[in-house]
Amino acid sequence: MANDRSGCGHGSVAAVNGARHGRPVRVTPAGSGSGPEVMAHVVVPGQAMEPGRHIVIGEIGAPDVDGRRHVEVVVDGWRFEWMVEDEELAALRERASRDRGGVAGAGGPLEIRAIIPGRVASVAVTPGDRVELGQTLLAVEAMKMQNELRAPRSGTIARVPATAGSTVELGDVLVVIE
Amino acid sequence: MLIANRGEIALRIIRTCRDLGIETIAVYSDADADAAHVAAADAAVRIGPAPAGESYLRGDRIIEAALATGAEAIHPGYGFLSERAAFARAVTEAGIAFVGPRPAAIEALGDKLAARRTALAADVPVVPGTFDAARTDRANDVDAIVTAAERVGYPLLVKAAAGGGGRGMRRVAAPEGLPAALVAGAAEALAAFGDGAVYLEHEIRPARHIEVQLLGDDRGNVVALGERDCSIQRRHQKLVEETPAPGLTGEERTELHAMAVRAAMAAGLHNAATAEFLFDSDRRFWFLEVNARLQVEHGVTELVTDLDLVAEQLYIAAGESLSDAVHAAASAVAEPGRHAIEIRLAAEDPARDFAPVPGRVGRWSMPSGPGVRVDTAIRPGDRVPPDYDPMIAKVMTVGRDRRIALRRMRRALAEVVVSGIQTTLPFDRALLDDPAFAQVDGSTLSTDWVAERWDGPAARGRVADTAAVAAATAAAETGSTSSLRKDTPEERPSGWRTTGRAAAMDQWPR
Repeated sequence: MANDRSGCGHGSVAAVNGARHGRPVRVTPAGSGSGPEVMAHVVVPGQAMEPGRHIVIGEIGAPDVDGRRHVEVVVDGWRFEWMVEDEELAALRERASRDRGGVAGAGGPLEIRAIIPGRVASVAVTPGDRVELGQTLLAVEAMKMQNELRAPRSGTIARVPATAGSTVELGDVLVVIE
Repeated sequence: MLIANRGEIALRIIRTCRDLGIETIAVYSDADADAAHVAAADAAVRIGPAPAGESYLRGDRIIEAALATGAEAIHPGYGFLSERAAFARAVTEAGIAFVGPRPAAIEALGDKLAARRTALAADVPVVPGTFDAARTDRANDVDAIVTAAERVGYPLLVKAAAGGGGRGMRRVAAPEGLPAALVAGAAEALAAFGDGAVYLEHEIRPARHIEVQLLGDDRGNVVALGERDCSIQRRHQKLVEETPAPGLTGEERTELHAMAVRAAMAAGLHNAATAEFLFDSDRRFWFLEVNARLQVEHGVTELVTDLDLVAEQLYIAAGESLSDAVHAAASAVAEPGRHAIEIRLAAEDPARDFAPVPGRVGRWSMPSGPGVRVDTAIRPGDRVPPDYDPMIAKVMTVGRDRRIALRRMRRALAEVVVSGIQTTLPFDRALLDDPAFAQVDGSTLSTDWVAERWDGPAARGRVADTAAVAAATAAAETGSTSSLRKDTPEERPSGWRTTGRAAAMDQWPR
């Protein structure tokens, strides 16, 4: 994901669709740099910011097929990863997916991905297992800390790509629940 | 000289060797093949795969590497094998000099209970508690420790006899909590250190954590090179250290140094070590333990004393007695004429209880200028591997007094540029901006600081709006091709240039 992407958007000719000064854009948390307290914002590029903040612009990704751009910024040392897209286009897309009734309903497969790179310390489930909400699936170890991943919902284990002892990168699929 | 370590400390040791004209040999795991310490050394030897247990903790492979390259000495740095008596012994037996205390002293001090007994015998006040290892699988030991708990008094801490870094530690507020804490503490100690023995210590709280830098030669001379206040911690791991400890009287300082020297002499210590104490609200010192190695935070002592502690370690390892410079520095520390502070920049998320967040660094620029020292082995684009400690840089500042050192630290932290990974920088900035921390007498310092005064999620939430606008604007500016800009110059809001982008690009505080 963003951490390991080498290409950077500086000097790119492609613009975010509509994300020019004066048109509102939607800024949504993305990737590992998002905290639970951060919500989507609708802002106007270039609008005045709180003065006195220390801002570092990190990686700026090339626009994806929907014209969304992944942007990393660090404000007063806090790292944020955002998806930036034209607000009008975002609203349109939202309406379209609502009309389709939603793509990934409660019954669809759910991929559990690594939220930190590390080493798989242990795997507690095998394909076919029935798991309940909150049940431990596996543990990923990074820097002396064990991070237990729990089932975000009940279901049946479809696949377990992770194996104990293997190294995983940020975003790797570890377990799939059906 | 072979350096049995990695990261900033390996680089720091290599630099001193280079100053002294000593050739250096680095060792590295597969995770560090392209690391800065490998590039900096005269030669480098691969010792195994990424996990520390298969590389930096493999004493046998490190000694093999030393023999193969003709190394005459091994410096262990801190962590890893630095306090393993068996490693120090194996190095010596292989005919290689070990830069550090003698194996017997490492053994005596690594055993927390032996260290407590030694300090007590040397008339040093030791944190009240028990002095013998208790094994929770022995009924007699359990009976004895339950009885002892009444005498020690609650709240108390169950600690691992072989331990350190808070592992195996359990807090017990009242007698009914003791059995469960003993079982849990012993299990964690067994898992972490291969030894489930535990003991009790009365909990001294609130307290400041103050330690004394010691240097000794093999003729029995031991001196104190001042003390460091390391009270700002999370999970019993230090975040900030400074020397001298603010607010100590001259008598308190002299008394503390004398106690540390007594404990070290009683343990037969030579080379570099640090005696750790708690300082309670009644202004009494209580001995905790001695770390028989160079500490992470030795740099602040170097800034204040103008010594190179690694160079002094090498002289001592070569059999020389303490240098005149060391004696001069030791006689000056009672009345310090300078103040230094260090913050440890770590790849941790201060909004998620300082959880480690390894990854690849994007932009990376460290401060410099008057009174600033930065020890790091990170370069732009480097990967911070998940296999080791999350510390990525030590930023230090020094000045005539604490006020100047703190002022320089605020400036230095404003120069720090890191992207790609979350770091502890927001916490460090908030700490330095807190008037309570700047208070000169040190009375507000406490090991409870982070728990009582830090709300990471709230601090992060306060800058989210600014971050969103910054991201939107950066994306828009990236999208603007030169032709687009030519077409629509009036669309560029003037506010951005002055308040945001300019500041972002220049990295200078206003």
